[in-house]
Amino acid sequence: MAHQAHAYHMVDPSPWPLTGAIAALLMTSGLAIWFHFHSTTLMTLGLILLLLTMYQWWRDIIREGTFQGHHTPPVQKGLRYGMILFITSEVFFFLGFFWAFYHSSLAPTPELGGCWPPTGITPLDPFEVPLLNTAVLLASGVTVTWAHHSIMEGERKQAIQSLALTILLGFYFTALQAMEYYEAPFTIADGVYGSTFFVATGFHGLHVIIGSTFLAVCLLRQIQYHFTSEHHFGFEAAAWYWHFVDVVWLFLYVSIYWWGS
Amino acid sequence: MRLSLLIVRQSRLKKKEVTFSTVLVLKRLPEGEVITMFRHLRSLQQVSRRTLSSSARRPLENKVPHKQKLFQEDNGMPVHLKGGSTDALLYRATMALTVFGSGYVLYTLIDAALPKKKN
Repeated sequence: MAHQAHAYHMVDPSPWPLTGAIAALLMTSGLAIWFHFHSTTLMTLGLILLLLTMYQWWRDIIREGTFQGHHTPPVQKGLRYGMILFITSEVFFFLGFFWAFYHSSLAPTPELGGCWPPTGITPLDPFEVPLLNTAVLLASGVTVTWAHHSIMEGERKQAIQSLALTILLGFYFTALQAMEYYEAPFTIADGVYGSTFFVATGFHGLHVIIGSTFLAVCLLRQIQYHFTSEHHFGFEAAAWYWHFVDVVWLFLYVSIYWWGS
Repeated sequence: MRLSLLIVRQSRLKKKEVTFSTVLVLKRLPEGEVITMFRHLRSLQQVSRRTLSSSARRPLENKVPHKQKLFQEDNGMPVHLKGGSTDALLYRATMALTVFGSGYVLYTLIDAALPKKKN
């Protein structure tokens, strides 16, 4: 059996980059076909392919790290750089939507009534459900830190409990936000206020769902003894992502919900 | 003899490490007190046994060593197929959708690009 003389990971040939690329092609073309010809077949096919790709690709990474031992310290360093760079790219993604919000709200046009919130818009009370949402996400930041310390200290039961609590808080946020969306007195079609509000908070909500899913996978892995007290990067990556989601909410709350009302 | 058995049983139940000093302390007590302690510990044992068996599930077995053996086997299989026949099934299904999807998207886009004859 050949052995490598370095600590880096030379991956086995994998079909998932191809299937992922085709999934992206199908989703984007499918979106255009849906808009013009009212058929969702292509887009749905793309989504299914995307889910299959994500499941199998990430399953393989778990196999390579936890079962085959390929995630040596230099490899883990690379994974850390990768996650940090990805989160940074997401920060820039949200920065764009904040730019759009401040562009419209700092100098409201005469068409809006020269004021912000625009004439005719009843904004949500920032001290009702949005404040509760802030408390929920801040609490989840505490529980995820508790989970991390539990893992590092080898406290299996506490790690499972605190991680489960974090996920529950994430679901609670999503449920509250869904209710707010349903009850809101304005829609996405209500001028630039509606657009900036729902696009910014909507993408944030999507990231909460993604983050909760990532944490749920970590919970399953923790239950199955994948994490050790020294090596649990998958969980750390999920925790970083979760803190990022929390920080974005704080900016949303202060800018759109509070200052913007 | 009865004393050491009790400690062993208790430690198995509570999964705590019993030190030599604990045994020594119990051995130094007068017999009357030891018997009372024994009765209290016995009831505690029964309560914990009931609690553990009724509310707690059987602890999940650590399958990581088994998985490590499976995925480190020198059989030349790439990681995406190394788990067994389910891997192959899922791979074939994914690739089938990929190939079909590629063809379908080309057909749809070409069809959308060509002018349609009006009747």
